[in-house]
Amino acid sequence: MANSTLKSAALLDQMKLHLSSDAGKDLVKKIGLVYQLNIAPKKIGFEEEIYVVDLKKGEVTKGPYEGKPDATFSFKDEDFIKIASGKMNPQMAFMRGAMKIKGSISAAQKFTPDIFPKPSKL
Amino acid sequence: MIMIKLVTGGAACAVPGSSSSSNPLGALANSLLGSSSKTQERLNELPGTAVTGPSTSLYSGGDNQLSTLPGFENEEQELRHPDAQASEFLRGFRGADHGGFADAWNEIQRPQVPPHGPALRGGPLPYTEFDKVYENGFQSLPQPILDGPPGMVLSNFLHSFMRSSSTGVPFGPAMLPALGLSERDKLCIRDRSSIMARHFFADKSEEFINAQVNTLLHSLDIDSDFRAKGPIPGRYPELEEYWNESQGAIQPVVHNPANGWINEFSQQKSLHNDPEAWVNMFEQQHGAKGWASEFQQEQSQMTSMNQINSANMAAMEQTRMLAHTLSQNNNPKFQNSKFLQFVSKMSRGELIVDDNQIKPAGVSSSVGWAEEYQQQHKGAPTSWVNEFAQNELSHGTNGWAKEFSAERELHGSVDDQWVQEFSKLNVNDWAEEFGHQVGEGVSGESSEWLDGYNEYLNEQQAVKQRSNSSRGVYVFSDMNPYVGRPDPLKEGQELFRKGLLSEAVLALEAEVIKNPENAEGWRLLGITHAENDDDQQAIASMMRAHEVDPTNLEVLLALGVSHTNELEQAEALKYLYGWLQHHPKYGTLAPPEQSASLFFADVAGLFNEAARLSPDDADVHIVLGVLYNLSREFDSAIKSFQSALKLKPRDYSLWNKLGATQANSVQSADALLAYQQALDLKPNYVRAWANMGISFANQGLYEDSIRYYVRALAMNPKADNAWQYLRISLSCASRNDMLEACDSRNLDVLQREFPL
Repeated sequence: MANSTLKSAALLDQMKLHLSSDAGKDLVKKIGLVYQLNIAPKKIGFEEEIYVVDLKKGEVTKGPYEGKPDATFSFKDEDFIKIASGKMNPQMAFMRGAMKIKGSISAAQKFTPDIFPKPSKL
Repeated sequence: MIMIKLVTGGAACAVPGSSSSSNPLGALANSLLGSSSKTQERLNELPGTAVTGPSTSLYSGGDNQLSTLPGFENEEQELRHPDAQASEFLRGFRGADHGGFADAWNEIQRPQVPPHGPALRGGPLPYTEFDKVYENGFQSLPQPILDGPPGMVLSNFLHSFMRSSSTGVPFGPAMLPALGLSERDKLCIRDRSSIMARHFFADKSEEFINAQVNTLLHSLDIDSDFRAKGPIPGRYPELEEYWNESQGAIQPVVHNPANGWINEFSQQKSLHNDPEAWVNMFEQQHGAKGWASEFQQEQSQMTSMNQINSANMAAMEQTRMLAHTLSQNNNPKFQNSKFLQFVSKMSRGELIVDDNQIKPAGVSSSVGWAEEYQQQHKGAPTSWVNEFAQNELSHGTNGWAKEFSAERELHGSVDDQWVQEFSKLNVNDWAEEFGHQVGEGVSGESSEWLDGYNEYLNEQQAVKQRSNSSRGVYVFSDMNPYVGRPDPLKEGQELFRKGLLSEAVLALEAEVIKNPENAEGWRLLGITHAENDDDQQAIASMMRAHEVDPTNLEVLLALGVSHTNELEQAEALKYLYGWLQHHPKYGTLAPPEQSASLFFADVAGLFNEAARLSPDDADVHIVLGVLYNLSREFDSAIKSFQSALKLKPRDYSLWNKLGATQANSVQSADALLAYQQALDLKPNYVRAWANMGISFANQGLYEDSIRYYVRALAMNPKADNAWQYLRISLSCASRNDMLEACDSRNLDVLQREFPL
């Protein structure tokens, strides 16, 4: 993922490491769902990079999920960062059209900022 | 009725033809049953005395019980025999020791605490505290000379406060001439001094800091909290107290008592920017109809009490005397007799007599309560209503309506925007989702959606404010006291060296306002912002520094670091490459034509070469560490920072960089050690405090993370990231009760709740 220029890629790299920690394992226990993220650099639906955050197995992978994810989200790189860092509420993002959801709403409701690790600042 | 027989008989027999107070029973009978014509009249005047409903039937049961009690019959008979027996009876009373009855008596005499007691007593306290400080002011030891024009006095005074920090001697209060500070000035001084104090005394306890700040504020006649801020006790102290109390949780800072209500409202407004929110807030606190119904209840209780009261006053007085007489006797028969219980109940107002019937009063202490209430209010309960109405009228309704319409006009555009946004939504998707939701029976979420909408409105407001401060444009603080100083740069450097970051920001801003071309001013300002955990402002000031002096290596490195923190790879890479390009030693390594298209691997290769050229240059290792952070090769980054630390072990920002890298590669335990090193070297390094919070949060230790975030925010309330993280941690730690304090950025509440 290092070759991606998306900010989200950096965060998801960290997420990958985070899921191997104790806190990450708790997350898997607590949520146990599979999310697919379609992240576009500028405009939803264009040049999307697809990541799968698998909170069943505790993995983050690049490329579409084989099978049916519990929920699929589409957003812009920047909006995803805002959501993951708590700057923007996911519900609000959805209402503004900054985030699109496919799949189960109840699964989508568990997609909250606290499942993402916070990057520490140099 | 037995009762009538008993009492009339008693009155007639025991002391025939007399109803003087020397015979308690007779007097009781008079006042109860109205053999005194005056009382009778009064009773008749009050048709509404009856306590309605169940209490009547309740008592009728009690009545039967009384009559069937064996001891009671005896008493009745005894009383029927007038002379000898009755007087012996009374003598028996008097010869007693008081033990058994003392309790009952005490209970009667114990002053009742009025329901408003705590509120009333809360009022004067701050003033006594103030008086204390006032007195101390005269005794306090040598103070700087505080004379001259107000401006000078103030700045001298504030400087003496700062000096007190270096000596570590508690700051003594001082008497100052009237300075004519405006509310706004006061507020500004209050906020800044409490932030500064946290920087000064980063190693001291919270109480110490608070004491210092309070001393300062008292001396300046600024109230340190909203309670002390209360007005000179006005005409409606209770009302105001109640209002403040109910509003306190929302927004405890009232600047100006007279306008308190309106201020509250407008603050509320600007915070929530939505009429709904206010209503919600109010309802949350009081329940939908809570306040109104509470008022009604009180009101109806008042009216009934009021009527009963005067009628029973005399009776109670009499029974008190009777109970007193009875209490002189300790004949066990009497101690346990129903009669004594009856009388003492009567005297306490638990039983009342109405239309020849005896009824328990609704609440045991309600008569007393009503009595107290009346005394306090010198009469009519309606006065309360009047007061309220007056209050409401004087600065209520009109202001509120105006406020509201002004608000509407101001934010009308928001609504339009919202409509636009909404129409952008894919309606089909939405309908589909909705169907799903209904199908799955997910209810209760609707309120969340509503919240979402409200939040959206808030965000719109925030976005509007921030649009002025869009990326790369530096936002200056208003009310900067350093503007106009002869040498703000020097002051800024001094403050930065002392670690007073928020204060240094102000001094340096004053410098760059004065000399916009001063690269050093901008650079130091940027560094200060970075240490204060505000990367946006750091980038903005560093860009200005970069414009003025495009070859400054420190500026280039700082820009690289800040962009790395913001996950902006391309920019970060550009500046870090620039660093190499402009370095006198390694500049030759970097061909200028390459800067057009940078690839991470190439840049990293160049830096590795530089590191080989001079392995003792800590800076090269630092840049390499930042680069590896950019590519998320955290192990290499950690190694680079560690090599740099061998060369520069006292560089606190380097320890923080190491810690952050370790934290990002899930080595939180090591990270905490590194942050601790940084904080040992620089106790008010806000970034390191915030990073510690992040590390705890990422380990799932939310309670701990909250404490560190709050600590960081106390030193720099403008650190937006920390506020957002704090919010997440609060909801993860199930501390939803504190979310409101977080949203309104109420640090006082948060610090009290989460001390470090």
